[in-house]
Amino acid sequence: MTHQLKDGGQVLNVGMLARVEGEGGMHIEIKDRQVVDVKLNIFEPPRFYEGFLRGRKYTEPPDITARICGICPVAYQSASTEAMETICGIVTTPQIQLMRRLLYCGEWIESHALHIFMLHAPDFLGYESVLEMAKTYPDVVKMALRLKKAGNDLMELVGGRAIHPVNVKVGGFYRMPTVAELEALRPDLERGVEDALAAVELVAGFDFPEMEQDYTYVSLRHPDWYPLERGAEVVASNGVRFPVAEIPQHIEEFHVEHSNALHARFDGGIYFVGPLARYSNCFDQLSPRCQEAALRAGLGETCRNPFKSIIVRTVELAYAFEAAVRIIDEWRDGRSPSVPVAPRAGEGVGASEAPRGTIWHRYRIDADGVIEDAQIVPPTSQNQASIEADLRLAAQQWVDLDDHMLTHRCEEAIRNYDPCISCATHFLDLRVKRS
Amino acid sequence: MNAAPVREASLVIGLGQPDRGDDAVGPVVAARIRELAGDGVEVLTREDPTALVQAWDGYRIVVLVDSILSGADPGSLTVRHAGTAAEPLPTHAFTAAGRGGSHAFGVAGAVELSRTLGTLPEQLAIVGIEAETFDHGPMSDAVVACVDDAVATVIATLAHAIGELRDTEAGSCA
Repeated sequence: MTHQLKDGGQVLNVGMLARVEGEGGMHIEIKDRQVVDVKLNIFEPPRFYEGFLRGRKYTEPPDITARICGICPVAYQSASTEAMETICGIVTTPQIQLMRRLLYCGEWIESHALHIFMLHAPDFLGYESVLEMAKTYPDVVKMALRLKKAGNDLMELVGGRAIHPVNVKVGGFYRMPTVAELEALRPDLERGVEDALAAVELVAGFDFPEMEQDYTYVSLRHPDWYPLERGAEVVASNGVRFPVAEIPQHIEEFHVEHSNALHARFDGGIYFVGPLARYSNCFDQLSPRCQEAALRAGLGETCRNPFKSIIVRTVELAYAFEAAVRIIDEWRDGRSPSVPVAPRAGEGVGASEAPRGTIWHRYRIDADGVIEDAQIVPPTSQNQASIEADLRLAAQQWVDLDDHMLTHRCEEAIRNYDPCISCATHFLDLRVKRS
Repeated sequence: MNAAPVREASLVIGLGQPDRGDDAVGPVVAARIRELAGDGVEVLTREDPTALVQAWDGYRIVVLVDSILSGADPGSLTVRHAGTAAEPLPTHAFTAAGRGGSHAFGVAGAVELSRTLGTLPEQLAIVGIEAETFDHGPMSDAVVACVDDAVATVIATLAHAIGELRDTEAGSCA
């Protein structure tokens, strides 16, 4: 809906941004064909998770923070357990880390399959929704559901539930799955590798708008593998790198008037977390097959076109399936599910790579394990400024489109991030003001 | 992709989150059916509506049990038929679900996506139980009180669907 303003400008209202996780608002102001203001309005009331963690026991964050999001609960569980174990001076066993990685593969598979095919692909194939897309591309949608189910099954087995897993605790798990249980999942996971690699070719054939940004890519990095459940350090595309424990010294949260989700600066500037950042910072750690698939899809070792994030996300989907199969190959029965973790006073940071980007938690606990302070920084919050920068560029690049087309293009620019707005918001109302 | 093999058993699905008040009633009723059902009835629970599309693929008779919010008295029961021969569910419901992301993808979205993909059961009955609360915690008294009726309704619905399918097959043979 377009409104004429008294000063000759226009305001376009669009009820809801489609196909994102959650809802929010956006305002674009254009004067004399120049984009002069862009705001991503996140106006859901704060959810106070950090507040009500205070006073709770150090063992509780994995269960409490998992409830923040139904799409990426494992990201919250991984970051919180790592933070608490760091504070308490505990290093878990390699087997526990392996099982955490397997659980995380399940989350990536679930989340990436959902976003790639159900929420993002309709943009490129010209449909309003996956329900319409399914009429022409039923086999693609069936494959997507099959892939997502494989992720759900993995989450259910390792995590105890497909949504909000309940088998994770500080120190490890309550129960380890058996080899027999894991082997039952193998056929679907092996098929998932092949399906996902084929899907890389499929999405690489989409038409992509020409748009690149000189992002500062920030991600975790691990010496042994592509970052999922944890990293040894944080790396940035500008060459900065530091241990996870130093994240709060480099990333500063701050409030802006138009958003109830805190924005963030990395060493004082805008930065980008997510698949494009992981891919560009850690391409060398992808498996040979995934590297080949990416290069064959036309990607370089870095990618700066946000619309091509769908290709990168699909490469990561294939990687997650491969990683899951490798872990099952290595798994043996009889491994202890957890190590004891006694509380001790201190402060610590944990970080993991949620499907949509780096998430980090910081806690301070007392000698009895009571939480005195908590800070939770999800990826979509960190990406808000980057989303706004993309919107500014996209709106300027396509300023001569009519309001409907411009709106659609801007929605696509937001969907490139697979934003989990519900981690911070509940409604997206697009406003374009022209004068 | 090949279609799933046709399954002889009937399927009862309890949909809902077990720790969100009356949303738990689907899994609770499903658990009761599991205790009572014979070999010809399979029972499962799901929390994610997107999982329904595959969960019922290949079954000819399915009863889905879910909490609903229609404005009726809490604990009221509603049975809606949504199988291949039934009218599509309201367009606005699934269009909104498809556009609204997975957060808004509900039963209607799953039914209509299955219809498009050719995986919708011939006989699909949705037993809806009117909810009072979806807050964290136990089910409301009104919904707890209706569980026996809900179980009986599921069994009766299942028996009716099996009878209808037999009649249809007998008719087609004649």
